[in-house]
Amino acid sequence: MTSWRNQATPVAAIVIVLIAWELLARANASPNMLLPPITAVLADIWANLEILLRGVRRTLTETLLGLVFGAAFGFVAGAVFAQVRIFEKMFFPLFVVSQTVPVIAFGALVVMWFGNGIMSKVVIAFYLTFFPVTVNTHRGLLSVDQQRVDLLRAFGASSWKIFWSLRLPAALPSIMASLLLGVSLSLIGAIVGEWFGDTVGLGILLVQAMYAEDMVRLWSIIVFCGLLGTGLYGIVAWFARRYVWWGTEY
Amino acid sequence: MAGSALDRVETDKPYEALAVTGKAEASAGSPIIELAQLTKTFDSSGQKVVAIEGVDLAVRPGEFVTLVGPSGCGKSTLFNIVSGLLDADTGGKIHFKGEERQGKELLGTVSFMPQRDLLLPWRRVIDNAVIALEVEGMRRKEAREKAQVMFQEFGLAGFERHYPHQLSGGMRQRVALMRTFLFERDLMLLDEPFGALDALTRVMMQRWLLGIWQRHRRSILFITHDVDEAIFLGDRVVVMTARPGRIKLSREIDLPRPRDPHVTTTPEFLAIKADLMEAIEEESMKSFMSQDERG
Repeated sequence: MTSWRNQATPVAAIVIVLIAWELLARANASPNMLLPPITAVLADIWANLEILLRGVRRTLTETLLGLVFGAAFGFVAGAVFAQVRIFEKMFFPLFVVSQTVPVIAFGALVVMWFGNGIMSKVVIAFYLTFFPVTVNTHRGLLSVDQQRVDLLRAFGASSWKIFWSLRLPAALPSIMASLLLGVSLSLIGAIVGEWFGDTVGLGILLVQAMYAEDMVRLWSIIVFCGLLGTGLYGIVAWFARRYVWWGTEY
Repeated sequence: MAGSALDRVETDKPYEALAVTGKAEASAGSPIIELAQLTKTFDSSGQKVVAIEGVDLAVRPGEFVTLVGPSGCGKSTLFNIVSGLLDADTGGKIHFKGEERQGKELLGTVSFMPQRDLLLPWRRVIDNAVIALEVEGMRRKEAREKAQVMFQEFGLAGFERHYPHQLSGGMRQRVALMRTFLFERDLMLLDEPFGALDALTRVMMQRWLLGIWQRHRRSILFITHDVDEAIFLGDRVVVMTARPGRIKLSREIDLPRPRDPHVTTTPEFLAIKADLMEAIEEESMKSFMSQDERG
């Protein structure tokens, strides 16, 4: 009973908000429709499903590629920084500086370097993703309990064995936390990347709808951006809960 | 490290014989480990702190030596040196089976169990138990088979595939002990293994450890600050002084084995305890006073 209620309460809240939205939108109905009724948005989605799904496919591809490259690079960089102090001293400050420049400032440059195709979006998504993964990998690997390291050393373990059997698993919860952040950032990177020019993708659809002042279409695209973000986040969160269930404290 | 497999073959068998005949023979033979004039100074922000000073200590094959002392007397420092995690100051000597060794050369030669169980939460109980074997390069499957036969003896049968967080404190401690036993070395260092357990569980674990030790006959160096525990378990009790830690006295415990818990209420036991308590209280007082001064 209680668990049923716990689940029902947020759903009820959403339904109430949606109904209020619909009523408010109908009461203020105007040609501009600053806030279009939900029913209109749903109708628009249904009518343009093919275009929207094509946009989702493209943006999803960019997001995933950006995430995979960003996570892989971020992990390797974090691991190298944790194991080799001299690299940490030399390059970590550069990583921090790179993140102080807003990615938008690089946008035009990236398009000129990597062309108008998918690559430039992947690069921007990558640029936003790798840093949190680097930081959390680095911190996770180093914050491992020294007594556990000593125990394995006392058994005669090499630092390689200690890395694989202790440091990495101990760091996984914080690495997974950075991936959850990364998945949202990668999606932002992909959408923003498309604004610098392309023909397909949710970001492009957004820009087109904006210039056409098509308020209903704008909301249709926002719905899909939301679904994409929630879906990706949900998958990573599920994976983390299922396979990396131990916390950072034990 | 290469000789470790050979060492085991040489040494395992004779101890089984010792287990039957008892202590007198166990005391014979050259020491497994011999510490001579070990000193360790820590340098904490310019201040020199002497943790242990001039420690002489030898453990004979099959002997169970318990080490008591006030908190902060450097017992753990001593263990870290013997297990190879810390370097002693120059001048001290460690002979392991007659060979002089120091610092890192000792890593992997003794079986070390720290105070906390330090189980890895992501590994199942059986995989926690075999981690030292894995470090030695044994295949996971083979290591598991080797561990499997010990679960009954360690009271963990049926819990092989559980995770550490599903076990009670006493069971986790037994897993940690099993991990220590599976790393077959002639000398085991146990650092207050039952310190965190409640009194009842602790007594059960002590009896159980004696049983295991009598069957396997490894040499054990056991840290505790519980005098009853030290006398009940040990062939010999060694008392350390307050910081800097030195050996204050070493006393043979000639209570007959196997010992059952009733031995702790016999006049012989109480006489030994009175003796040791006097020495320990003197030291506890010193460390208490010096803490007072600092505070």
